Amino acid sequence: MKEELETANRPDNTAFTQQRLPAWQPMLSAGIVIPGFVLIGLAFIGIGVALFIASQNITVLEKDYTGVEITSDCYKCSNPSDKNCTCKLDFSLSNLFEGPVFFYYGLSNYFQSQRSYGVSKDDYQLSGDLDYFKTPISACSPYQYDANQNPIVPCGSLANSMFNDTFKLYQIVNGTKKLVPFDGKGIAWWTDYNIKYRNPSVTPLKNAFNGTVKPPFWSKPAYELDTSDPSNNGFVNQDFLVWMRRAALPDFRKLYRRITEGDYASGLPAGNYSLEIGYNYPVLSFGGRKKVVFSNVSWMGGKNQFLGIAYLVVGSLCVVMSTVMLIVYAKFKFPEDD
Amino acid sequence: MPSSNLVGNRERQFVVVIGFSLTLYLTDITWEVRANSRHFHKHRRRRSFLCFRWGRYADNVVRSFKYSPLTFLPLTLYEQFQRAANLYFLLMVVMQCVPAISSIPWYTTTIPLVIVLSVRGLKDLANDLVRSLTHPPITRLSPSLSSLTNWRGFTNVNSLFFLSIPTPFSLCLPFYLSPSFLLLFAPHPTPSLPLSLPLSGIVLCEEPNSRLYTFRGELHWRGERHPLDSEHILLRGTVLRNTDTAFGMAIYTGSDSKILRNVGQLRVKRTQIEKVLNKVVIGVMLFLLLMALLLAVGSGVFQGRVSSQIEVLSALTRGNSPIYTAFLTYWSYVILLSPAMPMSLYITFEMIHVLHSLFIGWDVEMRGGVERSIPAQARNTSLNEELGQVGHLLSDKTGTLTQNRLLFRQCCIAGNVYGKDELPSLCPTSASPQTLDLSWNPFSCGGLYLSDQRLVDKLRGQQCTQSRQFLTTLALCHTVMTEWRNGEGAPVYQAASPDEEALVGAARELGWVFLSRTRDSLTVSELGVKRHYQLLTLLDFTSQRRRMSVLGKTDGGLKLYCKGADIVILERLQKDCPHLESTERALDLFAQSCLRTLCIAERTVSEAKWEEWSKTMAQAAMTTRNHDDMLEQLHDDMERDLKLLGVTAIEDRLQDGVPETISLLRQAGLKVWVLTGDKKETAVNIGYACRLLDPDTRLLEGDELRQLLQSPDPEITFSKGKGTELWCVDRERAGEKSALVLTGPELVNIHYRSKDLENLLIQEPEWGARFMSLAGLCQSVLCCRVTPGQKADVVTLVRKNTASITMAIGDGANDVNMIKTAHIGVGLAGVEGGQAVQNADYALAKFSFLQRLLLVHGRWSYRRIAVFLRYFLYKTCSFALVHIWFGFFNGFSAQSLYENWFIILYTVFYTAMPVECLGIFEQDVSAECSLSWPELYKVGQRQELFNTWLLAATLLHALYTSLVLFFMPLGVFYNSALDYQTMAVTVSIASLFSATIEIILLTRHWTKWSVAAMCVSFGLFFKSPVDYYFPGVSQNAFPSPVVWFTALLTAWTAVLPSFTIRTLNIILTNPDRHRHGPVELQKSGFRRGDSHRRSSYAMSQGRGIGRLITSGASRRITFPPVDRRGTLGDNVTLAGQTQSDDAPKNITENGSSK
Repeated sequence: MKEELETANRPDNTAFTQQRLPAWQPMLSAGIVIPGFVLIGLAFIGIGVALFIASQNITVLEKDYTGVEITSDCYKCSNPSDKNCTCKLDFSLSNLFEGPVFFYYGLSNYFQSQRSYGVSKDDYQLSGDLDYFKTPISACSPYQYDANQNPIVPCGSLANSMFNDTFKLYQIVNGTKKLVPFDGKGIAWWTDYNIKYRNPSVTPLKNAFNGTVKPPFWSKPAYELDTSDPSNNGFVNQDFLVWMRRAALPDFRKLYRRITEGDYASGLPAGNYSLEIGYNYPVLSFGGRKKVVFSNVSWMGGKNQFLGIAYLVVGSLCVVMSTVMLIVYAKFKFPEDD
Repeated sequence: MPSSNLVGNRERQFVVVIGFSLTLYLTDITWEVRANSRHFHKHRRRRSFLCFRWGRYADNVVRSFKYSPLTFLPLTLYEQFQRAANLYFLLMVVMQCVPAISSIPWYTTTIPLVIVLSVRGLKDLANDLVRSLTHPPITRLSPSLSSLTNWRGFTNVNSLFFLSIPTPFSLCLPFYLSPSFLLLFAPHPTPSLPLSLPLSGIVLCEEPNSRLYTFRGELHWRGERHPLDSEHILLRGTVLRNTDTAFGMAIYTGSDSKILRNVGQLRVKRTQIEKVLNKVVIGVMLFLLLMALLLAVGSGVFQGRVSSQIEVLSALTRGNSPIYTAFLTYWSYVILLSPAMPMSLYITFEMIHVLHSLFIGWDVEMRGGVERSIPAQARNTSLNEELGQVGHLLSDKTGTLTQNRLLFRQCCIAGNVYGKDELPSLCPTSASPQTLDLSWNPFSCGGLYLSDQRLVDKLRGQQCTQSRQFLTTLALCHTVMTEWRNGEGAPVYQAASPDEEALVGAARELGWVFLSRTRDSLTVSELGVKRHYQLLTLLDFTSQRRRMSVLGKTDGGLKLYCKGADIVILERLQKDCPHLESTERALDLFAQSCLRTLCIAERTVSEAKWEEWSKTMAQAAMTTRNHDDMLEQLHDDMERDLKLLGVTAIEDRLQDGVPETISLLRQAGLKVWVLTGDKKETAVNIGYACRLLDPDTRLLEGDELRQLLQSPDPEITFSKGKGTELWCVDRERAGEKSALVLTGPELVNIHYRSKDLENLLIQEPEWGARFMSLAGLCQSVLCCRVTPGQKADVVTLVRKNTASITMAIGDGANDVNMIKTAHIGVGLAGVEGGQAVQNADYALAKFSFLQRLLLVHGRWSYRRIAVFLRYFLYKTCSFALVHIWFGFFNGFSAQSLYENWFIILYTVFYTAMPVECLGIFEQDVSAECSLSWPELYKVGQRQELFNTWLLAATLLHALYTSLVLFFMPLGVFYNSALDYQTMAVTVSIASLFSATIEIILLTRHWTKWSVAAMCVSFGLFFKSPVDYYFPGVSQNAFPSPVVWFTALLTAWTAVLPSFTIRTLNIILTNPDRHRHGPVELQKSGFRRGDSHRRSSYAMSQGRGIGRLITSGASRRITFPPVDRRGTLGDNVTLAGQTQSDDAPKNITENGSSK
């Protein structure tokens, strides 16, 4: 009985059971690894050069408008008690700022990546589930209900703290302000306003918000975020979506508008410009900074000096190391008498 | 039923199972056993529930399994949570269920934990089931005085009897029952001691203990007290012969029996790698806890200093104080960092272990037995990597190295060598060139391995008196018993020494048939002529005398027949002995062939001389002072002026491939020690035969060894001693050319009152260390005459004093303790029953499979597992430690940098398969190369692939990688419009890349499976919906070239150090050193030309049984002889000095199996 079992259990004499699977055993020698090292290094240098050049070709104009300095026009608005303050930021371009120009706002020392901040939202609510309009999830607390126990929609600290400065760019042409048209469409991820966030299917949208209150920091309710475009309201408002997509690091910028229309489709011509800022968002209390950034993009996205330089450094390091190795190899292989 | 068994079944062997012991210290006699009093014992039967026990007398169920349906769950959980890792994971699970601190969802740890626990538990259960099936519980029986006629149901059961055996002849007793016992029962005049007699009596004795060779107790019977000692007891495994009936009383039963007390505890063996791993795991965990603490402090500070200023964040603290926040954050970070030590490490580790074990079982080259039907078996699946690190191999001799078959190969009579001059090791296994026509001999029954027609012609031709005398001596000078079985034409010989059996058997084949013996006579048929020899005296063998003599009287006068070791005999020869030179040449020749030699001599003694001698002898017997010295002198007086007849050469047949295996293992750096119950000469002889000792190896033994050990620094003295003796200058080589020969009792009895050397060595750490440092210099150590317990003690000694891994190999129950004590126990699945195998971690069919098991499977396993563990720790730590750095940029809030599912799937899917393939398929060199380059094995012995430093380096690399993984993307993402989720994906891809590049660098053996695993893993990441919680990330982040460039750069920078080190390694070492193929396989034969003779008289006991033959204890013609297994009683009389090697081998063998 036992023997039978053993015979039955006896496996075939296969390559697998005998551990004789055909295999490739790379035979690495100095003749392969050193040139390999050099090649990798050269490849990295190549990529680095390409990235660096691409990055160099990108023009960036960055302006801080926090209003810390008294000289700044926005200094007057830095007092948080001052509501609806407007200031302006003037700058001039000596050359054509090639388009398409992307217009960003930037914040620093702002911890959007804080965990409790990041989870302080209600994904069900934001996907248009009306049940969660009545009872937002507790993660939104303390922005779950207002003092009267009315549910806040959209709830949570993330939505509540939405950036609410407004910008208008004027070109000063012969002393007159010419509005540079901003394109606010498609600045958020397509998946965000089609899949992740959705308005409840109630028309008009306003009705869905009956019995709810707007987040305390907000000046207008979610369904009135964009008065010019009814479809850009509620949870699919582009600015809202851009804000809701958290930044990973405390210094970040977010896309505000693109300049792609009219006379400015090919870029911002040389000249004087004035940026009119609706200064609402307080950052000075925690030492934060606000800025605006004009930038164009290349095939590799926005300007990124670091990546190109890092590639160059690592690539060079490989080449240097392979040289050292070659020397070591020569010493080892052919001792002094040779 | 029992009676029907009795009839005509006299050859039935009774196997009694055994316990032994011998202590010099008195113990309380508190163990009470009453004969035929079931009532008395019933209430004291030991019972148990779960782990609680009560009651005194164990029942007879011998359990080698530990689980029952009821206890399985609690026991297995208890055992599993003894692993620090499992407890840690359980803690993680509990914490992840707390919403306040749960930084990653609960299922990330719960699912793997449940899998790990169930896999482990089921595996343990399966192992246990296998054990319990092979060890069925045997009938229950309480101690009682019983007739042993129904022995069949009895022997296995009761572990220890003391008994009387009234035979039909009333006087026929196993001679090892001492006279005092005989007085008690045996001399009952009635031939039939009534089997049904309701005997009553009380035995008071020691509490159950593990001392095999001692026993102390007393019997209260019919108002008298009779002292009992170890001679009165039979231990489990003893074989009784020549009797059908025996009376006995079970004293210790079941788990109380001495042998079971002696087999050691079932314990979980942990490999060295596992221990190092555990240490490192604890280190990593402590590091993580510390990091979590620092980060928590950071979070408290952050809340107090930074977020209190930020309205959006301060509102989120919900009024918690910074300290409370820090407390919560601490636990959140503990959870978040826990993937650095993932559960899947243990799952995969286990899985790879099992596969390695299966590979061992599948290996067709390790199948033995008939038609290769017995596969190698890894009974313990978690020790594989340790097979690649063995430093000390401790081997049993009989049945392991040798076949325990002694063959009379050659002889030299009057200077003529008879028998083929062939090297025994080159003979095929069953080489029995029975070309001789022995049909003229009615007693011939085959089994002669010496075929030389010349000898037969000479013997039958009546011309050569010397050869006739030679055979007469063989037929007379021994202590063999004869047994005539029904219907057989020749007597069956029962010898205490297999050598004697071989010699007497050979004499029978050649026409000198030893027919029977009485106390004072021997009957021999010489070429058909029956002759009676009067046995005047028998000077027995002792290990000091190394010879035995028989003084016989025939019509032709008195003659002394003597045989013994060559040194002893040659110095006692008469002057001008003929053929001396040619005989010495023959001795050398035999020694070269590793044959065991005995010199045969005779002496004609005059009647007058005998009378004078016997008178002196009688006087000497009276004196008590210097009794031994006088005897020695008398013996010496008789055994002199001998006339050399010839030399016998006996081959102690080795198992197949033993010398090759041992020499290969020695080249691989293993120290092979032989532990045997046999006597020294036998062991040394075998040591030479199996190339454990080289022909010019110096043996350090006895006084020399003791002096070395007594010197403060044996190493120095050792090398000094050699310098003075000028036999070897170089210390290194000197060490390699010497071996320690250690006879358990000898050394100690002389100088130290301690019981045995091992106790001394073990109890005195200093001595043990000295001994081990000495042993470390020598090529081998032979331990002779060691008990099973001592074998284990020697293993313990090695384990305590060296860091090396010990492996014990044996085949019988006497090796069980050693097998269990060693790091790895190997049992030979052979004829000796299953005891060794049952308790072993590996079962092999042949000793020679060790080379494949160690050098191929072990080496591969070690490499695979070492590389696997290092890589696994690297990939998980590098991946998880990123969160530490991220903490500085998210306000120490325990924000994860990965998508939740990625954390689980990273270790389970995305990076698991390639490393599993590595753990399964990796081969740095092929099996053939492993065997032809045994030196490669030393990597494992030196723990070069897995040690604390290497692991620390690995962890440092992981730390570096985690830094790169975070800060490289940080540089790219800082002050950019790219969001958190894109960064998370970038870091994920980078960590995946770096882990993959690392495994590509590690893999040196690319099978199709490895390639497939790599592709599938990558496919799983990129083809599966990556963004479980990050919807849209794949559509938006993947098209971005920045993500890819960043990931590529990060991964490459992360692996750059290891890549550089590997490259340097390749440059600085010659990579194809081991790939030229085998240069030379050491298969040369024996080295010839050595002049070291090895002669021995290979009694397996210390002292012959001549005392019993001539003691007059019995006057029956036929003595009941004993099998080697049954000779325990004799051992016991020698006060624990010697033990039969094989005494308690058959614990479960059925008593009347034959």
